[in-house]
Parts: sequence; structure tokens; C-alpha cells
Amino acid sequence: MSDERAREVARALTLRYVVASTAILAASGLLGVVLRSSQADWGRVGDNFWYAAMTAHGLGTFVGWAGFAVMGLSWWVLAGVGFPLRPFGLAMARLTWWLMVLGVAGVVVTTLLMGFGASWVFLYPLPFFGAGEWGAWATGLFSCSVLLVGLSIVTWCFGIVHTVLGPALHAVSQNVLTRLGVAMGWGYLWPRAFATNPRPVPYAVIPLTVIGLDMIVATLPLAGLLVWQIFESAGWVGSADPLFAKNILWWFGHPVVYLLLFPAVAVYYWLIPRYANRQLVAGNVIAIAWTVAVIANVLVWAHHIYLDYPENSVQSQINTVMQPMTFSLVLPSALSLYSLAFTIYRSAFRWTAASTALFLGLVGWLLAGLSGIVNATIALDVAVHNTLWIVGHFHHMAMLNIGLLIFGAVYALLPELTGKALYSERTALVHVWSTFVLGMTVFGLWLVQGLDGAPRRFSVLPSEYDTLTRVSVPFVVLLAAAQVLFFWNVWQTIRGRAGAAVFDERGLPVPVERGRPSLGTAAFEGAGMLAVVGLLLAAGAAGFVIGRESAEDDGGPAPTAPATTAVEGGDAAAGAEVFASAGCGGCHTYGPAGSSGQVGPSLDTTTLDAQQVEAIVGSGRGAMPAFDGRLDDEEIADVAAYVTEG
Amino acid sequence: MSQTAVIIAVAYGIAVAIGVVISVAIWQSTRFAGEEVDAEPYSRREGAWLLVVLAALFALLLATIFYVPYGETAGAGKQVVRVTGVQFAWAVTPAVVQAGRPVEFLLTTRDVNHGFGVYSEGGVLAFQAQVMPDRTQKVVHTFDEPGTYTILCLEFCGVRHHEMQATLEVRG
Repeated sequence: MSDERAREVARALTLRYVVASTAILAASGLLGVVLRSSQADWGRVGDNFWYAAMTAHGLGTFVGWAGFAVMGLSWWVLAGVGFPLRPFGLAMARLTWWLMVLGVAGVVVTTLLMGFGASWVFLYPLPFFGAGEWGAWATGLFSCSVLLVGLSIVTWCFGIVHTVLGPALHAVSQNVLTRLGVAMGWGYLWPRAFATNPRPVPYAVIPLTVIGLDMIVATLPLAGLLVWQIFESAGWVGSADPLFAKNILWWFGHPVVYLLLFPAVAVYYWLIPRYANRQLVAGNVIAIAWTVAVIANVLVWAHHIYLDYPENSVQSQINTVMQPMTFSLVLPSALSLYSLAFTIYRSAFRWTAASTALFLGLVGWLLAGLSGIVNATIALDVAVHNTLWIVGHFHHMAMLNIGLLIFGAVYALLPELTGKALYSERTALVHVWSTFVLGMTVFGLWLVQGLDGAPRRFSVLPSEYDTLTRVSVPFVVLLAAAQVLFFWNVWQTIRGRAGAAVFDERGLPVPVERGRPSLGTAAFEGAGMLAVVGLLLAAGAAGFVIGRESAEDDGGPAPTAPATTAVEGGDAAAGAEVFASAGCGGCHTYGPAGSSGQVGPSLDTTTLDAQQVEAIVGSGRGAMPAFDGRLDDEEIADVAAYVTEG
Repeated sequence: MSQTAVIIAVAYGIAVAIGVVISVAIWQSTRFAGEEVDAEPYSRREGAWLLVVLAALFALLLATIFYVPYGETAGAGKQVVRVTGVQFAWAVTPAVVQAGRPVEFLLTTRDVNHGFGVYSEGGVLAFQAQVMPDRTQKVVHTFDEPGTYTILCLEFCGVRHHEMQATLEVRG
């Protein structure tokens, strides 16, 4: 392929990834707004819909948007540093796109339409305990969908590794392993053994090589677990070991975070020097950091399960070893941030909406990294594990680091990808800053709630957390609204509304100066900003007041009255079936049913009458959950008759 | 907020404040740049930065690694509480313990993964641990304050995860 043809291919590919991932952002981001406002009782949705939406939001935004977008931008980065796709890589890149789109579509269908709500980590064996909300079909199809997403990641890795090992590497050696070493930057450490001619490997290639290798290693065992789940849902195999499955899940679950971060680092390495008009400031030690990364990335999974240490297992030893391993993963981030910060420091940095987004993305990276160090420390994780602190941490990471990088890269690259000028530089700048400020607020509130012990993955939070939840909702809505500016800007750019792109002497797109609309006079702008700030404060204050009031009437929203419009005289025979299907025997011993559960009191010796049993079954007691949502009045009456007459 | 949470809040707050100051300084340094500065010395100093980061991480490791919750034993005079989780309820026997004496919790579940999170009356997360099917996890905790503690499920376990609660009575 000629150079121009190769760039044309990469251009079309990258655009296709960016457009698809942006569409996924629009859909799954909206789900995020639904989740948070439902928690604030501002449009409450049903519990299972909430958890199904949480599952879709997690997979959709994290992999379908952020992961997918940086996977696409990687093709353009590689083209930009002179690494064209060759036929095999191109086939992989195209296959990746289809697998990802099909996989995400499958996730949407199985969660939102089929009710699968086991969260994106689908912690085994939860997919097989749907509590009547989803069945084996949904579990099987969901597993198939995630398997497609996983395969998409693997094919992307094949494409990346194939591309970086191509002739553009300029490695002297033809040995594949040596060439891999060159692509990981070892030539900076050992110039003779990993010689290149005429130029060393571009820095942006290094993180892509690292993640290309790691994600193959990380994803294949997960694929095995998913295949097992598919077989189990079809009834072909029995159950797997939960602790082993947990380890397999996180074996993938940690590196997949870096499927977002490392390609993002490649984009930073490539774009920041262009805006700073100098080479990337990078000592040779950066190659050490990436070598640590390629190994440590797949050996730190257990920091997600620090609080699992069952007896007669080696889990606590694995966990303890993985704290220092996780700390070592700070190195690629700390050195990259150093390099990028000093590339900008005292340079003739060109500030545009795009480069502002990149800069703020670096700040987001720092914030996410710092909270990540807390999570990586076992003694501190005890206080924040599975609280909203974690949610704040990974939103800093996904939205304020990766997300802002994606926005910056899109604003920077759309002109060279489409040949058309960015529609509105000003709108882009407003979008970038409002995303940063509103994101800091929304995610910061999560950190605070988490430190206060607020649990994550609760469709309804304990009432003492209502105040901050309500305060955050206006900011969540505004954060979502700000993204409309992005969609609009991209859409108008692709339509060519600002004419053809013009590039300056550095190859950077020149912002188009368009006639300011009459609203844009300085006075109007100032008034507008004041109005927005006032609105925010008012909304926040209103939320605070509402929250405090509801926290005062002890216990928050009144529980719904149990639906005990007593059906006269239940049918004990029908009750026997209800007893079995509702799983009463799991907790209760009851001779006639042959059950021997030890969790709740034995029903053989009960002295309650049928009406009392109905009330308890309907609204729950002590540790026993309420069944009024799962059984209708007649079923409750039947089962009450069964356990009192038997 | 628990003591650990306060430590986290203070440390994170300080680190973020330093980060913000550095970010603003870098931003400002580009706005008044006269002639372009040679960036070569920055590259050479990256090795020094590596050492600083390594030293800081090593210090944090030494300061924290001895506080892992693993392998704790309650010793003589312990109280034993058996906890079984099930979608979506807890069975806690006995549900009454004495303050001031170590309690050994033996945690297990009949179905899916759960999380055993114990909150004081003031809503402070006292401690937590994961609960797995087919296995028993031991957690040791000594309650200093009497009161009614609330148990929440801290590992997502299905549609009524947020309703999976129980109480534990700690007597003086």
C-alpha cells in the first residue's frame, strides 16, 4: 500500500470507531443519569431495571465508549507515527469493530430487555441466581455478548501487535522476540541488543505494544469462564468454583482498565508534543516503567479482592503479595505524567479546546491515580471497598482522564480525519471546561459519600446519604447536558458546516474564527455565566434542603405497606408448590416439605396462625426478606395455609 | 467517618491540593514563556523522579502492610458468631455479643457472593469482609461501644441486594 492509501485506510477505520463509540456514549451515558437520579428519588425506577441499567451503563461506557474509542484512535496514532496497517492487521481491525458493535448490542438487549442485572462483573455464581428476574436464557446470551466483546479485544491486540512488528519498526533484528523488545522500548536501555536503524521506536508505540500483549493474556481465561457460563446455562456442565471464578474475572478485570489507559497514554505521547512544539521529554527510564507495566499488569488482579481471604485458601497470601505489585504499577503513570508535564512546562504550548482537554485529562489522571493508591493499599481499602469512593475513583479515571483525552483527541483530529474544520472552537472549550468542573463535582461527591461508608451498587441508598445524592443530581444532569455540545459539534463538523480544515505550520488545525452571534457579546456572556452559576448554587441548595428534611423524618421514605388484602383461606396444596418454588426451604426446616434449612426458625414447631404468617411472608421480619414483590396475595395465602396446616 | 476514612480524606486532600498547585504552575509557565527553553535537563532528571516515587511507595508500603486484616485470631475469651448469607437475608447466631471482648465472625453463604459490612449506630462502617459460597471466612472484631449495629450487604448479590440487612446487638 502506498503511504497515502495507508493513511486513507486508517482514517476511515478510526472515524468508524469514533462514531460508533460516541453513539454508545450517548446511550449509556443517559443510563448513568437515570441511575443517579433514581437514587435521589427523582424519577425512581424499578429495582431490577436499575441493576440491569447499571450493568449496561458499566459495560457500555467503560468498554463500548472509552475502550472502543481509544482502540480506534490507536490506529490513527500508529499511522501518525509511521506504522501503517498491513492486510492482516487491517482484517483484525475491521473484525474488532464488528465484534464490539455486536457484543455491545447483545449486552443492551440482554440487560434492558431481558432483565439481566448481575452487574458488569457478573460475579459467579450470581448469573445463575436471578431471583426470578432473569433466567438461563438471559445469562447464556449475556455471556455470549460479553464473549464477543472479549474476542473483539483479542483481535484488536492481534492487529496492534502485528502492526507494531512491521517494517516501520526499523529493527535490525528479524527475530520476533527481539522485535517485541524493540517495540517495548528496550532499545532505549540496550541500544546494541535491540538496535534500530535509522530511528528509535516512537514513544507512542510502547504502551500500545504493552497492552496488545497483556490483553491477549488477560482475556483468554475470561473467555473460558464465559464459555463455561454459556454451557452451564444450557445445562451441559455443573457449577464452577466461586473463588477460582472470582480470580479469573479480576485476572481480566484489572488489565481491562489499562486497555483504556495505555492507548490513551499513546495518544498523549503523540499529541502533547505536537501542541508543545518539542519532543516528548522522556529519559531512558521510561522504558523501565513500561517493562514493569507489561509484567505487573497481569499480576495485580487480586487487589480487587483484598477482602476475600477464606480459610484453607492461599488468597490472603496472594493478596498481600499484590499490594507491592500494584504499587509498582504506579511507575508507568508517575513517569508518564512527569514526561508529559515537563513537555508542556515552559514550552510554547498552543492552547486550544483540544489541548485544554488533553491538559485537563492529565489532571484527571493524577486525581484518579491518587485515589487508586488508596484502593491499592489493603489497610486503607478496608474502609472504602465497595463504597461509593470506588465509584468516584473510576469515574475520575474513565471520564476525567480517558474521557477528556478522547474529547481532546476528537477535537484535535477530526479536521485531519475528515478534512473539515471543527465547527465551533468556542463550544468545544465550553464543553471541555464544563465536563471537567461538573465531573469534579459529581465524582468528588461520590468520594465523600464513600468515605462516609455509603455502599455502591444500591438502587436505594440508606437514607442518611440522601442529602449529597440529591445535591449531586443537578450537576449530573448538567454534565449530561454538556455532552450534547460535543455531539452537536461533531455532527456539524462532519457535515462540513465550518468549511474545509486549515492547518498551521505545526500541522495543528487552526480554529475557525466565525462571526460571533449577537448573544456572544461580552456583557451577554458574563450575564450568562452568572446565571448558570446561580442556577447551580440554587439547585445545590435546594437539594441540600430537601435532603436534610428527608433525613430528619427518621428512616427516609416510608416502606410500602405490605399487600396483605388477606385472601380468605389459602390452598395448602398450592402452597406446597409455592414453598418449593420460592425457596422457603433454603432457610427453614419444615418436615412436610422435607426441607432442612437452618437460617430461619423451624416451621415444624410454629405457633403462628395463617394470618400472622401471611404478614411475615409479605413484609419480611428480621433477616427474612419481604416476598410481596415476588409472590401475589393468593400465593402468600396458600403458602401460609401450607405451613400452618401441615 | 471511620478513623481510616479520616486518614484517607486528609492524605488525599493534601495530595490533590499539591497536584492542583503543580497543574496551575505548569499551565501558567506556558502563558508567559519568552523564548523557548531547552527541555533536555528535564529528561535527565527523570531518573531522579523515579527514585523519589520508589522511595515514597516503599515508605507507604512499610507504613501499611502490617495492618492487613488477614490471619487475625481472637484468643481466649472469644465470642463466636456464625453468619450465613442468603439472597436476600442474613442469619446471625447469636445476634447479641458483649462489648470489649473479641468476637470471631465465621462467615459463609448458601448461594452467591455477599459482603458483610457492619455499621455502628452513628452510621460509621466498623469493618467489612467478603462472604463466599462453599467457604468460611473468619473476621475478628472487638466492639468498644455498645449499641445496635446494622449489617448491610457490601457485595452486589441481586435485585434486593440493598434490602439485605440485619442487626447485631452489642451489650455493655
